[in-house]
Formats: sequence, C-alpha cells, structure tokens
Amino acid sequence: MAYLSEQGYYENESNWGSYQYVSLEDIVNNFMLMNTGNHSLINNEERYKIIFHAKRAIQELSYDAFKNLKVLELDLTDTLRFILPSDFVNWVRINIYKNGFLFPLTENIQVQSSVSFEQTDETTSGILFDQSGNAVRKDSDIDTDRLAGTKKSIYLNPGNQFHGAEGWCIDGDWYFSYRYGKRYGLNTETANKNPTFEINRSAGVINFGSEASGETVIVEYISDGMEGGSESSMSVNKLFEKYVYAYITYEMLNAKLGVQEYIVARARKEKQALFRNAKIRLSNIDPGKLLMTMRGRDKWLK
Amino acid sequence: MINSVRQTVLSVLNKNNYGYITPADFNLYAKQAQLEVFDQYMYDYNYQVNKENARQSGTDYANIGRSLAEGIDTFSVTKPLKKTVNSVTANLNNFYLPSVASTGEDYYMINKVLVYSSVASGTNNVLNTKQLIDTSQPSWTAPVSVGDLVVNSTTENFAYVTAVNGPQTLTLTDDIFTNGDPFQNYRVLSGVKVSDRITHDKITTLNASLYTQPSTIFPAHSEANDFLTIFPSTITAYGQVVAQYIRYPKEPRWTYTTLANAEPVFDSTQADFQDFEVPADDEYTLVQKILGYAGMSIREIEVVKFGQGKEQAETLSEK
Repeated sequence: MAYLSEQGYYENESNWGSYQYVSLEDIVNNFMLMNTGNHSLINNEERYKIIFHAKRAIQELSYDAFKNLKVLELDLTDTLRFILPSDFVNWVRINIYKNGFLFPLTENIQVQSSVSFEQTDETTSGILFDQSGNAVRKDSDIDTDRLAGTKKSIYLNPGNQFHGAEGWCIDGDWYFSYRYGKRYGLNTETANKNPTFEINRSAGVINFGSEASGETVIVEYISDGMEGGSESSMSVNKLFEKYVYAYITYEMLNAKLGVQEYIVARARKEKQALFRNAKIRLSNIDPGKLLMTMRGRDKWLK
Repeated sequence: MINSVRQTVLSVLNKNNYGYITPADFNLYAKQAQLEVFDQYMYDYNYQVNKENARQSGTDYANIGRSLAEGIDTFSVTKPLKKTVNSVTANLNNFYLPSVASTGEDYYMINKVLVYSSVASGTNNVLNTKQLIDTSQPSWTAPVSVGDLVVNSTTENFAYVTAVNGPQTLTLTDDIFTNGDPFQNYRVLSGVKVSDRITHDKITTLNASLYTQPSTIFPAHSEANDFLTIFPSTITAYGQVVAQYIRYPKEPRWTYTTLANAEPVFDSTQADFQDFEVPADDEYTLVQKILGYAGMSIREIEVVKFGQGKEQAETLSEK
C-alpha cells in the first residue's frame, strides 16, 4: 500500500493518526514475504497459521502493553446492572459521573448477586424442578434486598459522624440503626463512600449497590484488539511491529516438528526481548520527563 | 528446434542402420520426451533449493536454481477462472480449474490464486480498438488505476488497464469489446489479494474459527474435481478469481508437406506445426530420450542403452 499524501491524510478524518499503526494485512503480507519460503526457517506453512498467530500477538499486546483504553458510558436503571461492552475483556476503572466529576468506584469483593431456586419439602433435595428437570428459579433475597436498598452496607464518608457505620441506602438517602460504642476494623479495601460494584463475568454484567441507581456509569476497559472481527480495522502500533513478527516466528517454530531446540530458544528470547523493548518504547521515558520527576526529590516531606 | 532434434535422432539411428522412425512416431516420442523433461524441472529445482539451503550453490552463473525457475516460468499463465455452470445459475462461489475447455490449457500446478474486488461495472456502449467506453458512467465509483483487470462479462475475455483516459474511457492491453455487439457488460477489478489453498480436512474448521475465517482480505480456497471453491462465499463474479498456474507444454508436432526421395520435407508453415517449448539447452536431453523410445520401438537395445547412458552422464554432470 502506498503512503498517504498529506492532502489525503488531512482531508479524511479516518486517516488521522493512522501512521502510527501497521495493519494486520501488512503484517501478514510482510511476514509471508520476508520470513517464509525456500530459504527461510519457516517454509511449507499455510497462511492461516500466520494470521492466527498475528491476531494472537495483537491480543497479547492488548492485554499487557497497549495503553489504548476503551471507555463506555451508560445510565444505570433500576436493575442496577451494567451490561459488559461487546468487546470487553477486562476492566481498568469503573466510575460514576456526577456533577461534572468522575468518582472512581471500588469493587466489592463480597457477593452482591446470586441465583436462587424455589424450594419445597416435597422432594428429596428440597429443590423444585420443572418438567425438563431444570430447577425452578426465583429472585434471590440478596438481589431483592440490593435492588430494594434494604441490604445493609457500610457508610464511608470521612468527617461525617456516621463514617464507618452500617446502614441502609434507600433512594440515595442513608438510614442507620442506633449507634453505641466505637467501631473498629474498618475494611480499607472498600473504604470509599461511593457505591460499590461486583462483576459477574459469567452473566456478562456489572452489578451495583442500590445507591448507584440512576447514576451515570463510565467503564474504562481493555479489549483484545480484534475490532469486532473486522480484519481491515485490526492494527498494531509500529513500535510493536518487530515484536509481532518475532511472536509469529516463535509460535510457528515452536509448533513445528523437527525444529532444533536451540532455534526455538533463540526465537523465544528474541520475542521476549522485543516485547520488553517495545514496552519501554511505549512508556515514553525521556530525560526531560525524568528531570521533571526528579525535581521532586528536594521537596520537604511534612 | 524440433527439426534439429529429429535430424539428430535420425542421424544416430541411420548411422548404424538401426532403422527409421516415421514423423507420426517421432511426434509421439517427442511429446513423451518433452513431458519427461518438463516434469524433471520441478525435481531439479527442488534439488537446487536444497543445495542452496546447504550453502552448496553459487550465485550469478552458478545459480542453477534461478535458471531452472526461469525455464519453468516460461510455462506460467495468469488468467481469470470461469464460473462453473451451477455457479452461474445459483450465483455460487465455484470456479472451474484451468483446463482446455475453460482456460485453453491444462495445468501442471496452480501456483497461486488471486482474488480481486470489483470496483466498477456497466455496459460498454461505444466500439473503439483496445478501449472500454461507457458514456453512461459519470465517474468511476471507486478509483480505477493502471494495471487493474477488466473483464468482458459477456464473452469472458479479459485485459488490463494501460491508461485511465477519464471517467468514461479506459485504454486496455487487448481488444475485448470489438466482437460483434458493442453493448457488452464489463467489470473493472482491483485490489488484488492472495488466496490460501486449504486442504479438505482443514477447510471446515478454518471456516468455523473466529481467528482464521476467510475474509475479503485473506481469502481461502479448496479444490475438488474440476473446480475450486473460494471463501468467503460472497466472491462470486467472473473476474474476481484469477489463477497463476504452470501449464503443460504444448504437444510438439514436426510437420511436412512434400516428399523428396521418399523422405518427408520439414515445413514449419503448417497450421498444426508446434515446436518444442522447453529451452534450447534441453535439446540434448530430448534427443537422448527420443532415442530411448525409438530404440525400444525398433527393438534395438543398444540404442536404448546409448540414450540412457548419455542421460545419466548428463544428470551426474549437472549435480
């Protein structure tokens, strides 16, 4: 593919910033051209294997090295549920956007949601089944309480007299039982006055505490770079290009019969070295930035 | 070259009064000999590649592999594949493999299959030599550039763009619209991609995998019987699938018209005349192989041995 002219670049919004990336198509073509054939380590291999490993390399980079987060904003309804984005792989930060500010939320490691079965004394197991042998489901108490706001949680608001107290959040207002004595053992893991959340990966949703009802939630997450399966959109930063070639080479040699171990080891070392190198490149460390950071060494600690 | 080969063969045979072979027999032996020489190119090329990988081959004039590749490349053909009969009616993604009936010649090996994207189509409505003119085309819907493929969908002829004269006219390498009715449909194709040949035990899983499912960027194909099936299945138009293949050499035919002293006199102006297609440096090999066949025919084992001995000596000297 030819390089874009400046006019072609500036007058087409979709081209803006494209120069920093190399497309999947170019990666595969370049690899086929330069690394496969009669006089190469890799020969007599079908292209689909190279495509597979190229995509896997992009995925690995997306998980470990890229900084291009994706962000999705949705309003929470009464279900207190945020359906995970279609290309969601892992979350980075979940916020509530309120009054022009972003409030980062804390993950509640306690269970917030559960499946529940109808129970009766008439069967051996005590569980009620339908004609197909499936357990009859009902809303769990924990879900009902959470949605109704009747589930107790800890109110965290330093400076407030109820800070650290157990209470109920109903329609955004907090209610507490009578307090006596002092409270100890603050769970610092959840020491945040904002609503909490729990990710249910199998159900594909984020469940929020009742105090988040009606709030605007912004989820920062990472994807796998597969762009919804659109191969024309798949690309990788040029700083990682050499790494992707090395990754494909290693994976191909590693899976091929009869390749000497020292060749596989050499390919693995090159891949790993290039990965570290690429991460350093992408971190944009330069003397100017280091100098600015080091100026803080003279700052007095109070 | 064919007359020279025949004269040499006859000379060897007649010298010792072994016998005589007729033009018809010679043509039969010549066909077999040429096929053997042609087939051996592939094995020799592979041998040379292995020598190169073992660092036992030189460059420049010592690059035997390149010389062999050049010889093989003289049989290279690149042509659009025609849609199968069922494929035309049901708009399927099946295309005939090269054959005498579809592309004009049988193939020895398909080297690569290319897939083009359609960038424009319409009807040629003005006749002009080596040009496509569509006055109803206000502008090409996608950029058309030199080197793009143009097919006549009606006659299934094809040519390449040598100049873009404007939004309505393209200059082509060949005349593909002057045959009778000027109102013939055309298709302009660009953006070539290489298709991956997939075996039958893999094609189903390949299509089922999210990672490897064929796309317009990375198409794939499998071959069965006399046709290939290209994926993704949206690739259905004639001209979209082009094959570069190595064809078999044409059947050599030593032709004559008159007899002089009961001997046929060579005449290369005959309509069915066909010279050998293998390079001239294989004339020696052709003579040896034909002598082998001729010796068997006239039951002279010495001729056979002579041919075989020469051939072996040549093979050894080339290693």
